[in-house]
Amino acid sequence: MPHPRKYLAMAKASLEVIFVYRAGWTVNLIGSVFYVVAMFYLWQTIFLSKPGALGTFTWPQMKAYLIVAFILNSTMTWFDEWQMGQDVREGRVAIDLARPVDFQMTRLASAMGPIPFELSSAITIGAIVAIIFGGIAFPSDPAHLALFIVSAALAVLLKFSIIYCVSMTAFWTTGMEGVSNARMAVQNIFSGALIPLVFFPDWLRALASVLPFQGMISTPALTYLGTMDGPTTAFMIGSQAVWAFGLLLFGRLLWRSAVKAVTINGG
Amino acid sequence: MALIEAQGLTKKFRQAVKEPGLVGSLKHFFTRQYKDKLAVDHIDLSVEAGESVAYLGPNGAGKSTTIKMLTGILVPTSGRLVVDGLVPYEKRQKNAKNIGVVFGQRTTLWWDIPVIESFNLARDMYEIPAKRYKQNLAEFTELLGLDEFMNIPAGKVSLGQRMRADLCMALLHDPKMLYLDEPTIGLDIAVKDSIRKFIRRQVDERGTTVMLTTHDLGDIEDICNRIVIIDNGKIIHDGDLAALKDNYARDRVIHFQLARPPVSMDPICAGLPACDLKSDGLSLSVRFDRFEFAAGEIAAAVMPYVEVIDFRIDEPEVEDLIRKVYLGQLTLDAPDSAAETTELAVATEA
Repeated sequence: MPHPRKYLAMAKASLEVIFVYRAGWTVNLIGSVFYVVAMFYLWQTIFLSKPGALGTFTWPQMKAYLIVAFILNSTMTWFDEWQMGQDVREGRVAIDLARPVDFQMTRLASAMGPIPFELSSAITIGAIVAIIFGGIAFPSDPAHLALFIVSAALAVLLKFSIIYCVSMTAFWTTGMEGVSNARMAVQNIFSGALIPLVFFPDWLRALASVLPFQGMISTPALTYLGTMDGPTTAFMIGSQAVWAFGLLLFGRLLWRSAVKAVTINGG
Repeated sequence: MALIEAQGLTKKFRQAVKEPGLVGSLKHFFTRQYKDKLAVDHIDLSVEAGESVAYLGPNGAGKSTTIKMLTGILVPTSGRLVVDGLVPYEKRQKNAKNIGVVFGQRTTLWWDIPVIESFNLARDMYEIPAKRYKQNLAEFTELLGLDEFMNIPAGKVSLGQRMRADLCMALLHDPKMLYLDEPTIGLDIAVKDSIRKFIRRQVDERGTTVMLTTHDLGDIEDICNRIVIIDNGKIIHDGDLAALKDNYARDRVIHFQLARPPVSMDPICAGLPACDLKSDGLSLSVRFDRFEFAAGEIAAAVMPYVEVIDFRIDEPEVEDLIRKVYLGQLTLDAPDSAAETTELAVATEA
């Protein structure tokens, strides 16, 4: 990024916007609390019915997995395809184009802006839920923790890259809500947000392993738990990075061809 | 070299065509049919630094499309375009630093945050030196009266306030070129007036080059020296405002108010053979070519036969003129001045 300052300023502005819409944001947060509590009771019931470990997971590990998934899911909640659809439909993209800024970087900046706030509140809630359910597993050593932080950061970037690529369809279709819902459904299954991928049948797990989505939840969560051996962890984090930056680049290409092809509405 | 140089600039859009009704929709779903529309059709345009150009045309004539190509938002289908030495769509970001853009129909301010914060963002985006930013902000705040709503989010200010803030936003980085797309749309007279004065001041004092599209002819008379009219994607007139008036708005009308009805119109008519006379009771109006007669000559020809209490003169209205052009009632022939500038541009290039 050649001019960090302008993008930093944009990130800051988008964080401010969250405070403007604090009611909407709070409702969203309360909803996600209900969701994580429901997930906890669901999995608790499953684990209680089968004493000991389920597959490779123990109950404390499963709890940690759910908390990590919850926290990662709480990031970048303000960036979605719908917004891009609005911007294209209402011609606001034209305004961005008349500015000395890189379009993808402005979107990245405004998607990243609210993250400090999103993370701190999600971690607080996660901690409270974890304490209520009797504590969770922690990474065994600082090296694991460091790897997890890298993996989590890549997961957030990957999330941006995927949504950005998908949102480019806004230039060809107007039904962005459908597109957004479809992406969310695929993402929920293949990222491991609903069910850890190890519980999938073989063929579905094979499919998940060639898709980018596992890098959004499964990889950072398993890195946190430290259940993968060294080479596997390295490979998984490596492929996260390849997907994240690869799709970031692919998104730029999509954007370029979109701009060339498109008749900006209202022209 | 001129600030804006366009030769054979063309933009073709592909529009989806859909037959009416459910069957049409269904057909459209499976087999899309498209039709090419030439929004801008081989236009030549040359704008010198410091000019203020009104870019006019009926709805859908190709005004906004041209502006979007000039700003680098749209990629032309064909033709050559250079703005301040840059090809806008190739060096979009660099070009963006040289220009300011105001869209009357949508704001460039951030909707949810206070107006002042949008300005601060502009400072960071355009990398405006701190001192320059402070000076400009102070000056524009005073001229445009931005103080009263500086700390209110753009979404909550009135349209007039928003437009004023948008103007400030567009000019904070000292752009050489200012594009205004219907800058006074929907505003009340007082705000329109202050905005026009402000823009004119930028042209006069800072030498900012202005190109504006508008449907409000007051904008043109108050701000612009030159008028370019586009219709169906083609430029049909290019020249200065005075020349347009001279060439196509030659008629003036002088209205006399009389003490008593004229005894006979015949001697007056005989004295003014080339004029169009209308008499109705106590009023008499004479339409005349202002290059053939002076108003005084008309008065001198009328006075001997009637007792005049009062009189007034109607100047030709640009508005009428442009309305006629739009409606196709008036065809503007090959504009001399446009041909001249094109030749000049080619000569400079060679």
